[in-house]
Amino acid sequence: MSGALFLGWRYLVFHKLKTIILVASITLMLFLPAATRVLVNDSAAALTSRADLTPLVVGASGSPLELVLSSLYFHAEQPPELLFASFEELRTTGWADVIPMNTRFHSRGSPIVGTSLDYFLFRGLELSQGRMMGMLGECVIGANVAAREDVGVGDSLVSSPETVFDIAGVYPLKMGIAGVLKPNGSADDDAIFVDYKTTWVIQGLGHGHQDLAKPAAASGVLNRKDGMVTANASVVQYAEISAENVAEFHFHGATGDFPINSVIVVPPDEKSAALLRGRYQDNEQGMQMIVPSSVLNDLLDTVFTVQNYVILGLAILSLATIAVISLVFLLSQQLRKGEFHTLSRIGASKAYIATLVASEIGFVFIGSLVLAAGLTLVVRQYALQILQSFLSL
Amino acid sequence: MNYRKFLLPLLMLVLTACGGESSSESAEIGISSTRPLIVASNYPLYFFAREIAGDSAEVVFPEMEGDPANWKPGSEDIALLQSADLVILNGAGYESWLNWVSLPSGILLDTSVGMGDRLIPMEEEVVHQHGPQGEHSHQGVAFTTWLDATLAMVQASAIEQAISGLVPVNREVHQERLAGLKARLAELDEELQAAFRAISNQPLIFSHPVYQYLAARYGLNGTSVHWEPGEDPGVRAWIDFRQTLQRHPAKLMIWEDEPGEQITAQLTQLEMLTVTFHTASNTPADGDYFDVMKVNLENLSLP
Repeated sequence: MSGALFLGWRYLVFHKLKTIILVASITLMLFLPAATRVLVNDSAAALTSRADLTPLVVGASGSPLELVLSSLYFHAEQPPELLFASFEELRTTGWADVIPMNTRFHSRGSPIVGTSLDYFLFRGLELSQGRMMGMLGECVIGANVAAREDVGVGDSLVSSPETVFDIAGVYPLKMGIAGVLKPNGSADDDAIFVDYKTTWVIQGLGHGHQDLAKPAAASGVLNRKDGMVTANASVVQYAEISAENVAEFHFHGATGDFPINSVIVVPPDEKSAALLRGRYQDNEQGMQMIVPSSVLNDLLDTVFTVQNYVILGLAILSLATIAVISLVFLLSQQLRKGEFHTLSRIGASKAYIATLVASEIGFVFIGSLVLAAGLTLVVRQYALQILQSFLSL
Repeated sequence: MNYRKFLLPLLMLVLTACGGESSSESAEIGISSTRPLIVASNYPLYFFAREIAGDSAEVVFPEMEGDPANWKPGSEDIALLQSADLVILNGAGYESWLNWVSLPSGILLDTSVGMGDRLIPMEEEVVHQHGPQGEHSHQGVAFTTWLDATLAMVQASAIEQAISGLVPVNREVHQERLAGLKARLAELDEELQAAFRAISNQPLIFSHPVYQYLAARYGLNGTSVHWEPGEDPGVRAWIDFRQTLQRHPAKLMIWEDEPGEQITAQLTQLEMLTVTFHTASNTPADGDYFDVMKVNLENLSLP
């Protein structure tokens, strides 16, 4: 019997091209539906687990999906801006813990997430080195950012200008790295966290310059009259925030009018959640309060429906592939009639010849199955990265 | 982030190594280190919080030089603030450092939130202009709210609610302590009214624009200059001062601290008296908040 298996194996090795084509066809036939299912299921689990841990999100009226993707996964597309006063208003209700989120800016492709220290407690993020940001201009970076940029505590990152030609727009800000987070397998690994006020400095809503009332700035003062000081462009504005000049930084206008993207709301119980949701039910101030898991479930329902159609299509293709492969094997038997006749004449039984043919088919299917399983495992391993690459498109 | 997590095991380790301490002492340390940590941004708030909390919480007022309104917290101060369970703020723009320090919003208590329209906009503002943004100013509201004893009561009530939120089992004790504190503040309010009654409509000069709430509560007719007690204001300031006196003929000038001899002599030449009314914003050299106010009342009775 082992001789039949050996002959079958040698036949496949001798006809390399035919074997490779057969194995590749069957591998793809098995791999594609399996990978689709694994990718969709794992991505859905990853998406919903983060969404399930985020009870409520408040943002300006617009696409709920954009709001969720921006607030939870720091997606590149930005929802309409929300006034910081809305955050303060929510905070003063005392019905929930609230966390501001401003994800508008980037640094070398990594999202800059403007938030408060409450975010780290809420997500259970821990430091692998350094400390949390303590003042304006400091940042804490995710593990992937540290690895990708080869930076750590004491180094710095520079925010990217929104458009190259917008000279008067968003200023690049050099941000000192105060700490690096432990990896936690989420979008936080790829983010740069700063205080939300730092994003206002990046946006140009706040700045630091010499105190115009002090003698050091006298050469830059053009006029002092009736409590108004007019200065020329020589007044030193700081491009980097340091412990020495941080106290000179200030914001122009009421911070309540400054923008953020959204507010993560964490009510202590169902009653508070219901009260808050009722408050935003028919909000006339252009705001919405959403349950991220519901929004994602709606999205995933659509994805699963599409997935079912894709798998149906693949199943039909698989049937066609099986038919073609059966034809290939049948034609192959016809072409090998002389070979089987010779085997019979030198003493091989019909069972022996059947075993030989079955072993060839078996080797092809087993090889394809192993390959398809291996590829599926690879896809499962990188499912989160694949998902994140789609989200950051 | 919370250094106290590491402090307790460290203390226990030291006590174990020393070997002589009784178990009751260890237990005491255990109890004290699990008390909530409260940090106040100025002395009056610290005093109110300490009076209300008693042993319920560890109340801290960071060491700072000069006026706490100009405090620039260092890295150790920021670490202390970040590790606190509650940071009591005066609000009304008093804590300019909040613009650049990162703190969890959940631990911040703004004690001026309940004051609504009783907050007073600053009389003066410095507008400046540079760069493409055009004119802008750093204006705000007056912040020495605690000088109006009735507003101090509002702040004390806010502090009691926050502390009781942290240690709900002691709520009744806190409310009793608050009632006692409010009674003392009410008594202070009456004494201040009586003390200021004699000069309530006379023109006054304040050495600094920090007495807005005092003036509003006790009907004072004052205008402010920007003079430091130990620093000669300079010729220009004296000329402006004389011009001010022509339209606002004050005979009394109220100072945050004892003015220098040279200033006092020049004011005497202008037939002006000086009175020191401490704002008590920083830790007093002697006594507590009410002792400082008692000294203020005594100073007011002298002229």
